[in-house]
Amino acid sequence: MAHIELSSLEAQGPLASDSQRLLTIGGILLIVIGMLFGDIFAMFVLHPNNARIGEAMYTASQLIPAGDADGILAQFMAIGGFLENRGTKVDTHSHIIHMGYIALLLAMLQPWVALSPTVKQRTAWLFIVSALLLPMSIFSIYYLGLAYSPLGHIGWGSILADFFGALLALAMFIQFWGLWRYRQSQSERVQLAHPRSTNGASRALLVGGLLLLVSGFLYGAGYAAWTQTGGGGSEVEILKNIVTHAAASEQELLGADFGAFGNYQMYRAINIAVHTHINEMGILLLLMSFVQGFIHYRDSTRQRWAQLAIVSGFGLPIGILMEIKFGIFGSIVADFFGFTMIVSLTAMLFGLLRYTGARDSEKGDAA
Amino acid sequence: MNTAGRILILTGVILIACTMAFGVGYALFDEHQTLVGMGMHMATGFMEASNGNMEAAYSALDSYGALTQEYRNEVHSHGHWGMLSLILIVLGLVFDRLGLEQRKGVLLASLLAASTALFPLGVLLQIGPAASLGKILSMAGSIGMILGLLATVYGLFRSNDT
Repeated sequence: MAHIELSSLEAQGPLASDSQRLLTIGGILLIVIGMLFGDIFAMFVLHPNNARIGEAMYTASQLIPAGDADGILAQFMAIGGFLENRGTKVDTHSHIIHMGYIALLLAMLQPWVALSPTVKQRTAWLFIVSALLLPMSIFSIYYLGLAYSPLGHIGWGSILADFFGALLALAMFIQFWGLWRYRQSQSERVQLAHPRSTNGASRALLVGGLLLLVSGFLYGAGYAAWTQTGGGGSEVEILKNIVTHAAASEQELLGADFGAFGNYQMYRAINIAVHTHINEMGILLLLMSFVQGFIHYRDSTRQRWAQLAIVSGFGLPIGILMEIKFGIFGSIVADFFGFTMIVSLTAMLFGLLRYTGARDSEKGDAA
Repeated sequence: MNTAGRILILTGVILIACTMAFGVGYALFDEHQTLVGMGMHMATGFMEASNGNMEAAYSALDSYGALTQEYRNEVHSHGHWGMLSLILIVLGLVFDRLGLEQRKGVLLASLLAASTALFPLGVLLQIGPAASLGKILSMAGSIGMILGLLATVYGLFRSNDT
Protein backbone atom coordinates (compact mmCIF):
# COMPACT_ATOMS: atom_id res chain seq x y z
CA MET A 1 0.00 0.00 0.00
CA ALA A 2 1.42 3.45 -0.96
CA HIS A 3 2.07 5.79 1.93
CA ILE A 4 -0.51 8.35 0.67
CA GLU A 5 -3.24 5.72 0.62
CA LEU A 6 -2.17 4.52 4.06
CA SER A 7 -2.01 8.10 5.41
CA SER A 8 -5.56 8.78 4.21
CA LEU A 9 -6.75 5.66 6.03
CA GLU A 10 -4.80 6.57 9.19
CA ALA A 11 -6.28 10.06 9.16
CA GLN A 12 -9.78 8.55 9.41
CA GLY A 13 -8.99 6.96 12.75
CA PRO A 14 -6.10 6.23 15.07
CA LEU A 15 -6.39 2.48 14.62
CA ALA A 16 -6.45 2.09 10.85
CA SER A 17 -2.93 0.73 10.37
CA ASP A 18 -0.90 -1.86 12.27
CA SER A 19 1.62 0.74 13.44
CA GLN A 20 -1.16 2.97 14.82
CA ARG A 21 -2.80 0.06 16.65
CA LEU A 22 0.50 -0.96 18.15
CA LEU A 23 1.31 2.57 19.32
CA THR A 24 -2.19 3.32 20.66
CA ILE A 25 -2.76 0.02 22.47
CA GLY A 26 0.89 -0.21 23.57
CA GLY A 27 0.75 3.40 24.80
CA ILE A 28 -2.36 2.84 26.93
CA LEU A 29 -0.88 -0.40 28.33
CA LEU A 30 2.35 1.42 29.24
CA ILE A 31 0.36 4.13 31.08
CA VAL A 32 -1.69 1.51 32.96
CA ILE A 33 1.47 -0.43 33.96
CA GLY A 34 3.18 2.83 35.04
CA MET A 35 0.23 3.86 37.21
CA LEU A 36 -0.03 0.41 38.78
CA PHE A 37 3.69 0.52 39.54
CA GLY A 38 3.25 4.00 41.07
CA ASP A 39 0.49 2.71 43.39
CA ILE A 40 2.64 -0.23 44.57
CA PHE A 41 5.78 1.94 44.87
CA ALA A 42 4.01 4.57 46.99
CA MET A 43 2.63 1.95 49.37
CA PHE A 44 5.59 -0.39 49.87
CA VAL A 45 8.76 1.58 49.05
CA LEU A 46 8.32 5.35 49.28
CA HIS A 47 7.12 5.73 52.88
CA PRO A 48 9.39 3.07 54.51
CA ASN A 49 12.36 4.47 52.56
CA ASN A 50 11.72 8.04 53.76
CA ALA A 51 11.62 6.75 57.35
CA ARG A 52 15.01 4.99 56.85
CA ILE A 53 16.58 8.21 55.51
CA GLY A 54 15.33 10.12 58.58
CA GLU A 55 16.68 7.41 60.93
CA ALA A 56 20.12 7.44 59.25
CA MET A 57 20.34 11.24 59.53
CA TYR A 58 19.35 11.10 63.19
CA THR A 59 22.01 8.44 63.81
CA ALA A 60 24.61 10.63 62.04
CA SER A 61 23.68 13.58 64.28
CA GLN A 62 24.07 11.38 67.38
CA LEU A 63 27.67 10.63 66.32
CA ILE A 64 28.63 14.35 66.19
CA PRO A 65 29.39 14.83 69.93
CA ALA A 66 31.66 11.73 69.91
CA GLY A 67 33.59 13.14 66.92
CA ASP A 68 33.01 9.89 64.99
CA ALA A 69 33.62 11.19 61.44
CA ASP A 70 33.87 7.67 59.95
CA GLY A 71 30.54 6.69 61.49
CA ILE A 72 28.92 9.85 60.08
CA LEU A 73 30.31 9.12 56.61
CA ALA A 74 28.96 5.55 56.81
CA GLN A 75 25.48 6.91 57.62
CA PHE A 76 25.60 9.29 54.65
CA MET A 77 26.75 6.42 52.39
CA ALA A 78 23.66 4.52 53.58
CA ILE A 79 21.49 7.58 52.83
CA GLY A 80 22.98 7.61 49.30
CA GLY A 81 21.79 4.01 48.88
CA PHE A 82 18.28 4.83 50.14
CA LEU A 83 18.10 7.80 47.78
CA GLU A 84 19.21 5.62 44.85
CA ASN A 85 16.52 3.08 45.75
CA ARG A 86 13.89 5.81 45.83
CA GLY A 87 15.20 7.68 42.75
CA THR A 88 15.26 4.64 40.47
CA LYS A 89 11.68 3.73 41.49
CA VAL A 90 10.45 7.27 40.76
CA ASP A 91 12.29 7.24 37.43
CA THR A 92 10.80 3.84 36.49
CA HIS A 93 7.27 5.10 37.30
CA SER A 94 7.64 8.37 35.38
CA HIS A 95 9.48 6.86 32.37
CA ILE A 96 6.82 4.16 31.75
CA ILE A 97 4.01 6.74 31.85
CA HIS A 98 5.86 9.31 29.72
CA MET A 99 6.75 6.66 27.11
CA GLY A 100 3.03 5.80 27.01
CA TYR A 101 2.17 9.47 26.36
CA ILE A 102 4.72 9.67 23.53
CA ALA A 103 3.41 6.40 22.01
CA LEU A 104 -0.14 7.85 21.92
CA LEU A 105 1.15 11.06 20.41
CA LEU A 106 3.10 9.15 17.73
CA ALA A 107 -0.06 7.16 16.90
CA MET A 108 -1.85 10.45 16.19
CA LEU A 109 1.01 11.77 14.06
CA GLN A 110 1.21 8.61 11.89
CA PRO A 111 -0.82 10.09 8.97
CA TRP A 112 1.95 12.65 8.52
CA VAL A 113 4.82 10.13 8.66
CA ALA A 114 5.74 9.43 5.02
CA LEU A 115 7.31 5.96 5.29
CA SER A 116 6.36 2.51 3.98
CA PRO A 117 3.94 0.45 6.12
CA THR A 118 6.69 -2.09 6.91
CA VAL A 119 9.11 0.60 8.16
CA LYS A 120 6.31 2.24 10.18
CA GLN A 121 5.37 -1.05 11.83
CA ARG A 122 8.97 -2.02 12.62
CA THR A 123 9.65 1.44 14.06
CA ALA A 124 6.51 1.17 16.21
CA TRP A 125 7.69 -2.21 17.53
CA LEU A 126 11.16 -0.77 18.20
CA PHE A 127 9.60 2.09 20.17
CA ILE A 128 7.20 -0.03 22.24
CA VAL A 129 9.75 -2.76 23.10
CA SER A 130 12.44 -0.16 24.01
CA ALA A 131 9.85 1.85 25.98
CA LEU A 132 9.16 -1.25 28.08
CA LEU A 133 12.79 -2.31 28.53
CA LEU A 134 14.16 1.16 29.38
CA PRO A 135 12.18 1.48 32.66
CA MET A 136 12.95 -2.18 33.51
CA SER A 137 16.66 -1.38 33.14
CA ILE A 138 16.29 1.71 35.34
CA PHE A 139 14.50 -0.43 37.95
CA SER A 140 17.40 -2.92 37.94
CA ILE A 141 20.11 -0.24 38.57
CA TYR A 142 19.71 -0.37 42.37
CA TYR A 143 19.63 -4.20 42.55
CA LEU A 144 22.41 -5.01 40.03
CA GLY A 145 24.80 -2.35 41.33
CA LEU A 146 28.29 -2.82 39.87
CA ALA A 147 28.11 -6.65 39.70
CA TYR A 148 30.01 -8.05 36.65
CA SER A 149 30.22 -4.53 35.22
CA PRO A 150 32.90 -3.94 32.56
CA LEU A 151 33.11 -0.28 33.66
CA GLY A 152 34.47 1.01 36.94
CA HIS A 153 31.55 3.12 38.19
CA ILE A 154 28.62 2.34 35.86
CA GLY A 155 26.67 -0.89 36.37
CA TRP A 156 24.84 -3.12 33.86
CA GLY A 157 21.50 -1.50 34.76
CA SER A 158 22.73 1.93 33.66
CA ILE A 159 24.43 0.50 30.54
CA LEU A 160 21.20 -1.23 29.47
CA ALA A 161 19.13 1.89 30.26
CA ASP A 162 21.45 3.96 28.04
CA PHE A 163 21.23 1.32 25.29
CA PHE A 164 17.43 1.25 25.26
CA GLY A 165 17.39 5.07 25.52
CA ALA A 166 19.53 5.16 22.35
CA LEU A 167 17.09 2.75 20.61
CA LEU A 168 14.20 5.03 21.59
CA ALA A 169 16.09 8.01 20.17
CA LEU A 170 16.61 6.00 16.95
CA ALA A 171 12.87 5.23 16.75
CA MET A 172 12.05 8.91 17.31
CA PHE A 173 14.60 9.94 14.68
CA ILE A 174 12.97 7.63 12.11
CA GLN A 175 9.56 9.15 12.95
CA PHE A 176 10.91 12.70 12.55
CA TRP A 177 12.52 11.66 9.27
CA GLY A 178 9.11 10.44 8.08
CA LEU A 179 7.53 13.76 9.10
CA TRP A 180 10.27 15.60 7.25
CA ARG A 181 9.70 13.47 4.12
CA TYR A 182 5.99 14.28 4.26
CA ARG A 183 6.82 17.98 4.44
CA GLN A 184 9.24 17.69 1.50
CA SER A 185 6.88 15.71 -0.77
CA GLN A 186 4.80 18.75 -1.79
CA SER A 187 3.68 17.23 -5.11
CA GLU A 188 2.45 14.00 -3.51
CA ARG A 189 0.85 15.62 -0.49
CA VAL A 190 -2.84 15.08 0.04
CA GLN A 191 -5.10 17.12 2.30
CA LEU A 192 -5.54 14.91 5.32
CA ALA A 193 -8.48 15.16 7.64
CA HIS A 194 -7.61 15.52 11.33
CA PRO A 195 -7.82 12.44 13.47
CA ARG A 196 -10.75 13.79 15.44
CA SER A 197 -13.32 12.64 17.91
CA THR A 198 -16.16 15.04 18.50
CA ASN A 199 -18.45 13.06 20.77
CA GLY A 200 -19.49 14.14 24.28
CA ALA A 201 -16.91 11.94 26.02
CA SER A 202 -14.12 13.44 23.92
CA ARG A 203 -15.20 17.02 24.67
CA ALA A 204 -15.55 16.29 28.38
CA LEU A 205 -12.05 14.79 28.52
CA LEU A 206 -10.62 17.72 26.54
CA VAL A 207 -12.19 20.33 28.82
CA GLY A 208 -11.36 18.30 31.96
CA GLY A 209 -7.75 17.90 30.85
CA LEU A 210 -7.32 21.60 30.09
CA LEU A 211 -8.89 22.60 33.41
CA LEU A 212 -6.50 20.27 35.21
CA LEU A 213 -3.55 21.83 33.37
CA VAL A 214 -4.69 25.36 34.35
CA SER A 215 -5.10 24.16 37.97
CA GLY A 216 -1.64 22.58 37.84
CA PHE A 217 -0.08 25.80 36.65
CA LEU A 218 -1.88 27.88 39.27
CA TYR A 219 -0.84 25.42 41.98
CA GLY A 220 2.79 25.45 40.81
CA ALA A 221 2.86 29.26 40.62
CA GLY A 222 1.29 29.54 44.09
CA TYR A 223 3.78 27.07 45.59
CA ALA A 224 6.72 28.87 43.94
CA ALA A 225 5.51 32.24 45.31
CA TRP A 226 5.04 30.69 48.79
CA THR A 227 8.56 29.24 48.89
CA GLN A 228 10.15 32.40 47.40
CA THR A 229 8.62 34.45 50.23
CA GLY A 230 10.09 32.13 52.88
CA GLY A 231 7.08 29.85 53.36
CA GLY A 232 7.97 26.37 54.64
CA GLY A 233 11.26 27.53 56.18
CA SER A 234 14.81 27.04 54.96
CA GLU A 235 16.37 23.58 54.68
CA VAL A 236 19.87 24.96 55.28
CA GLU A 237 18.81 26.79 58.47
CA ILE A 238 17.23 23.58 59.82
CA LEU A 239 20.40 21.59 59.01
CA LYS A 240 22.56 24.24 60.75
CA ASN A 241 20.33 23.95 63.83
CA ILE A 242 20.71 20.15 63.73
CA VAL A 243 24.54 20.22 63.72
CA THR A 244 24.64 23.02 66.34
CA HIS A 245 22.30 21.26 68.78
CA ALA A 246 23.89 17.85 68.09
CA ALA A 247 27.37 19.25 68.85
CA ALA A 248 26.06 20.74 72.12
CA SER A 249 24.24 17.43 72.95
CA GLU A 250 20.93 19.30 73.38
CA GLN A 251 18.68 16.31 72.73
CA GLU A 252 15.36 18.08 73.21
CA LEU A 253 16.19 20.82 70.69
CA LEU A 254 17.66 18.22 68.34
CA GLY A 255 14.39 16.31 68.42
CA ALA A 256 12.52 19.51 67.54
CA ASP A 257 14.98 20.17 64.68
CA PHE A 258 14.35 16.72 63.23
CA GLY A 259 10.63 17.33 63.54
CA ALA A 260 11.06 20.56 61.54
CA PHE A 261 13.26 18.75 58.99
CA GLY A 262 10.66 16.00 58.55
CA ASN A 263 7.90 18.59 58.08
CA TYR A 264 9.99 20.53 55.56
CA GLN A 265 10.66 17.37 53.51
CA MET A 266 7.02 16.29 53.74
CA TYR A 267 5.60 19.67 52.58
CA ARG A 268 8.07 19.85 49.73
CA ALA A 269 7.54 16.27 48.52
CA ILE A 270 3.73 16.47 48.75
CA ASN A 271 3.46 19.87 47.05
CA ILE A 272 5.68 18.77 44.16
CA ALA A 273 3.77 15.49 43.84
CA VAL A 274 0.43 17.37 43.75
CA HIS A 275 1.69 19.79 41.06
CA THR A 276 3.18 16.96 38.96
CA HIS A 277 0.16 14.67 39.23
CA ILE A 278 -2.35 17.43 38.33
CA ASN A 279 -0.39 18.10 35.12
CA GLU A 280 0.17 14.42 34.32
CA MET A 281 -3.54 13.66 34.72
CA GLY A 282 -4.35 16.70 32.55
CA ILE A 283 -2.15 15.46 29.71
CA LEU A 284 -3.54 11.93 30.06
CA LEU A 285 -7.14 13.19 29.73
CA LEU A 286 -6.20 15.29 26.67
CA LEU A 287 -4.56 12.28 24.99
CA MET A 288 -7.47 9.97 25.78
CA SER A 289 -9.90 12.50 24.27
CA PHE A 290 -8.42 11.75 20.83
CA VAL A 291 -9.41 8.09 20.80
CA GLN A 292 -12.97 8.39 22.17
CA GLY A 293 -14.57 8.14 18.72
CA PHE A 294 -12.98 4.73 18.27
CA ILE A 295 -14.09 3.15 21.52
CA HIS A 296 -16.71 0.60 20.58
CA TYR A 297 -19.31 1.20 23.33
CA ARG A 298 -22.70 2.92 23.48
CA ASP A 299 -22.49 6.69 23.96
CA SER A 300 -23.73 6.48 27.54
CA THR A 301 -21.18 3.78 28.48
CA ARG A 302 -18.35 5.73 26.83
CA GLN A 303 -19.37 8.88 28.70
CA ARG A 304 -19.47 6.99 31.99
CA TRP A 305 -15.87 5.79 31.59
CA ALA A 306 -14.79 9.30 30.55
CA GLN A 307 -16.50 10.76 33.63
CA LEU A 308 -14.75 8.23 35.86
CA ALA A 309 -11.41 9.20 34.28
CA ILE A 310 -12.11 12.92 34.90
CA VAL A 311 -13.17 12.36 38.53
CA SER A 312 -10.07 10.19 39.07
CA GLY A 313 -7.86 12.84 37.41
CA PHE A 314 -9.02 15.43 39.96
CA GLY A 315 -9.29 12.98 42.89
CA LEU A 316 -5.74 11.58 42.72
CA PRO A 317 -3.90 14.90 43.34
CA ILE A 318 -6.53 15.93 45.93
CA GLY A 319 -5.79 12.68 47.79
CA ILE A 320 -2.05 13.42 47.73
CA LEU A 321 -2.74 16.94 49.09
CA MET A 322 -4.87 15.44 51.88
CA GLU A 323 -1.78 13.53 53.10
CA ILE A 324 -0.57 16.78 54.74
CA LYS A 325 -3.54 16.96 57.10
CA PHE A 326 -4.87 13.40 57.21
CA GLY A 327 -1.71 11.30 56.66
CA ILE A 328 -2.44 7.71 55.64
CA PHE A 329 -6.13 8.48 54.90
CA GLY A 330 -4.96 10.87 52.15
CA SER A 331 -2.71 8.13 50.73
CA ILE A 332 -5.69 5.74 50.65
CA VAL A 333 -7.79 8.34 48.78
CA ALA A 334 -4.94 8.93 46.28
CA ASP A 335 -4.43 5.19 45.75
CA PHE A 336 -8.18 4.68 45.33
CA PHE A 337 -8.40 7.30 42.56
CA GLY A 338 -5.21 5.95 40.99
CA PHE A 339 -6.93 2.56 40.87
CA THR A 340 -10.19 3.97 39.40
CA MET A 341 -8.12 5.72 36.71
CA ILE A 342 -6.49 2.38 35.87
CA VAL A 343 -9.96 0.75 35.68
CA SER A 344 -11.23 3.52 33.39
CA LEU A 345 -8.19 3.27 31.09
CA THR A 346 -8.51 -0.52 30.93
CA ALA A 347 -12.19 -0.20 30.00
CA MET A 348 -11.27 2.25 27.23
CA LEU A 349 -8.59 -0.17 26.02
CA PHE A 350 -11.20 -2.95 25.75
CA GLY A 351 -13.44 -0.56 23.81
CA LEU A 352 -10.60 0.11 21.36
CA LEU A 353 -9.95 -3.62 20.93
CA ARG A 354 -13.67 -4.15 20.23
CA TYR A 355 -13.46 -1.42 17.57
CA THR A 356 -10.47 -3.01 15.84
CA GLY A 357 -12.17 -6.40 15.96
CA ALA A 358 -15.37 -4.97 14.42
CA ARG A 359 -13.40 -3.20 11.69
CA ASP A 360 -11.38 -6.30 10.83
CA SER A 361 -14.56 -8.32 10.73
CA GLU A 362 -16.19 -5.80 8.34
CA LYS A 363 -13.14 -5.95 6.09
CA GLY A 364 -13.31 -9.74 6.11
CA ASP A 365 -17.00 -9.72 5.20
CA ALA A 366 -16.39 -7.23 2.37
CA ALA A 367 -13.61 -9.39 0.95
CA MET B 1 -3.74 21.85 9.57
CA ASN B 2 -4.17 25.57 10.19
CA THR B 3 -1.37 28.08 10.86
CA ALA B 4 -1.99 28.18 14.62
CA GLY B 5 -1.80 24.38 14.86
CA ARG B 6 1.39 24.39 12.81
CA ILE B 7 2.97 27.00 15.14
CA LEU B 8 2.14 24.87 18.18
CA ILE B 9 3.32 21.55 16.74
CA LEU B 10 6.55 22.92 15.22
CA THR B 11 7.45 24.82 18.42
CA GLY B 12 6.65 21.70 20.45
CA VAL B 13 8.83 19.43 18.30
CA ILE B 14 11.75 21.91 18.26
CA LEU B 15 11.59 22.45 22.03
CA ILE B 16 11.40 18.68 22.69
CA ALA B 17 14.52 18.17 20.55
CA CYS B 18 16.30 21.01 22.42
CA THR B 19 15.33 19.78 25.88
CA MET B 20 16.35 16.19 25.02
CA ALA B 21 19.75 17.47 23.87
CA PHE B 22 20.00 19.56 27.06
CA GLY B 23 19.01 16.53 29.15
CA VAL B 24 21.60 14.23 27.56
CA GLY B 25 24.38 16.83 27.97
CA TYR B 26 23.31 17.58 31.53
CA ALA B 27 23.14 13.88 32.51
CA LEU B 28 26.57 13.18 30.99
CA PHE B 29 28.54 16.21 32.18
CA ASP B 30 26.80 17.85 35.14
CA GLU B 31 24.11 15.91 37.00
CA HIS B 32 26.27 13.16 38.52
CA GLN B 33 28.88 15.68 39.70
CA THR B 34 26.18 17.92 41.18
CA LEU B 35 24.53 15.05 43.09
CA VAL B 36 27.88 13.82 44.46
CA GLY B 37 28.73 17.42 45.41
CA MET B 38 25.44 17.83 47.28
CA GLY B 39 26.03 14.63 49.28
CA MET B 40 29.65 15.55 50.03
CA HIS B 41 28.77 19.08 51.23
CA MET B 42 26.10 17.76 53.60
CA ALA B 43 28.34 15.00 54.97
CA THR B 44 31.19 17.55 55.36
CA GLY B 45 28.83 19.79 57.36
CA PHE B 46 28.19 16.96 59.84
CA MET B 47 31.84 15.83 59.97
CA GLU B 48 33.19 19.34 60.56
CA ALA B 49 30.66 19.77 63.37
CA SER B 50 31.93 16.50 64.90
CA ASN B 51 35.45 18.04 64.84
CA GLY B 52 34.09 21.12 66.62
CA ASN B 53 34.74 23.37 63.60
CA MET B 54 31.30 25.02 63.39
CA GLU B 55 32.28 27.77 60.91
CA ALA B 56 33.45 25.16 58.38
CA ALA B 57 30.29 23.13 59.07
CA TYR B 58 28.01 26.12 58.35
CA SER B 59 30.00 26.99 55.23
CA ALA B 60 29.65 23.41 53.90
CA LEU B 61 25.89 23.46 54.58
CA ASP B 62 25.58 26.81 52.76
CA SER B 63 27.36 25.25 49.77
CA TYR B 64 24.94 22.31 49.99
CA GLY B 65 22.00 24.77 49.90
CA ALA B 66 23.37 26.66 46.86
CA LEU B 67 24.08 23.45 44.94
CA THR B 68 20.64 22.03 45.81
CA GLN B 69 18.94 25.17 44.46
CA GLU B 70 21.02 24.96 41.27
CA TYR B 71 20.11 21.28 40.82
CA ARG B 72 16.38 21.96 41.35
CA ASN B 73 16.37 24.79 38.80
CA GLU B 74 18.18 22.69 36.19
CA VAL B 75 15.90 19.69 36.63
CA HIS B 76 12.75 21.86 36.74
CA SER B 77 13.60 23.71 33.53
CA HIS B 78 14.39 20.42 31.72
CA GLY B 79 11.19 18.75 32.96
CA HIS B 80 8.96 21.76 32.25
CA TRP B 81 10.31 22.21 28.71
CA GLY B 82 9.55 18.55 27.94
CA MET B 83 6.06 18.44 29.43
CA LEU B 84 4.97 21.83 28.10
CA SER B 85 6.19 20.89 24.60
CA LEU B 86 4.06 17.75 24.80
CA ILE B 87 1.06 19.92 25.72
CA LEU B 88 1.79 22.23 22.74
CA ILE B 89 1.77 19.29 20.30
CA VAL B 90 -1.49 17.92 21.75
CA LEU B 91 -3.12 21.37 21.60
CA GLY B 92 -1.85 21.76 18.02
CA LEU B 93 -3.82 18.66 17.04
CA VAL B 94 -7.10 19.99 18.47
CA PHE B 95 -6.67 23.71 17.84
CA ASP B 96 -8.99 23.83 14.84
CA ARG B 97 -11.83 22.72 17.16
CA LEU B 98 -11.71 25.97 19.13
CA GLY B 99 -13.85 27.97 16.74
CA LEU B 100 -11.51 30.98 16.83
CA GLU B 101 -10.93 33.42 13.96
CA GLN B 102 -7.60 32.75 12.25
CA ARG B 103 -5.92 35.92 13.57
CA LYS B 104 -7.00 35.26 17.16
CA GLY B 105 -5.97 31.62 16.84
CA VAL B 106 -2.48 32.58 15.65
CA LEU B 107 -2.17 35.11 18.50
CA LEU B 108 -3.21 32.53 21.09
CA ALA B 109 -0.87 29.89 19.61
CA SER B 110 2.01 32.42 19.63
CA LEU B 111 1.30 33.26 23.29
CA LEU B 112 1.32 29.57 24.26
CA ALA B 113 4.48 28.85 22.22
CA ALA B 114 6.37 31.87 23.62
CA SER B 115 5.31 31.06 27.20
CA THR B 116 6.45 27.44 26.80
CA ALA B 117 9.87 28.59 25.60
CA LEU B 118 10.31 31.42 28.14
CA PHE B 119 9.05 29.93 31.42
CA PRO B 120 11.68 27.15 31.75
CA LEU B 121 14.36 29.48 30.31
CA GLY B 122 13.57 31.92 33.13
CA VAL B 123 13.91 29.13 35.72
CA LEU B 124 17.31 28.18 34.24
CA LEU B 125 18.56 31.78 34.12
CA GLN B 126 17.89 32.16 37.86
CA ILE B 127 21.08 30.13 38.51
CA GLY B 128 23.53 32.61 36.98
CA PRO B 129 24.19 36.35 37.05
CA ALA B 130 20.96 37.10 35.14
CA ALA B 131 18.80 35.87 38.04
CA SER B 132 16.55 38.97 38.03
CA LEU B 133 15.86 38.63 34.30
CA GLY B 134 15.20 34.94 34.92
CA LYS B 135 12.57 35.74 37.56
CA ILE B 136 10.83 38.20 35.21
CA LEU B 137 10.86 35.68 32.32
CA SER B 138 9.59 32.80 34.44
CA MET B 139 6.76 34.95 35.87
CA ALA B 140 5.80 36.28 32.42
CA GLY B 141 5.93 32.75 30.96
CA SER B 142 3.84 31.35 33.79
CA ILE B 143 1.16 34.06 33.46
CA GLY B 144 1.17 33.67 29.67
CA MET B 145 0.67 29.91 29.96
CA ILE B 146 -2.22 30.26 32.45
CA LEU B 147 -3.98 32.90 30.31
CA GLY B 148 -3.35 30.88 27.13
CA LEU B 149 -4.80 27.69 28.62
CA LEU B 150 -7.82 29.58 30.01
CA ALA B 151 -8.43 31.11 26.56
CA THR B 152 -8.21 27.62 25.03
CA VAL B 153 -10.82 26.28 27.48
CA TYR B 154 -13.03 29.30 26.68
CA GLY B 155 -12.61 28.60 22.95
CA LEU B 156 -13.65 24.99 23.47
CA PHE B 157 -16.76 25.99 25.43
CA ARG B 158 -17.66 28.52 22.72
CA SER B 159 -17.22 25.98 19.94
CA ASN B 160 -19.50 23.58 21.86
CA ASP B 161 -22.18 26.27 22.12
CA THR B 162 -22.07 27.00 18.40
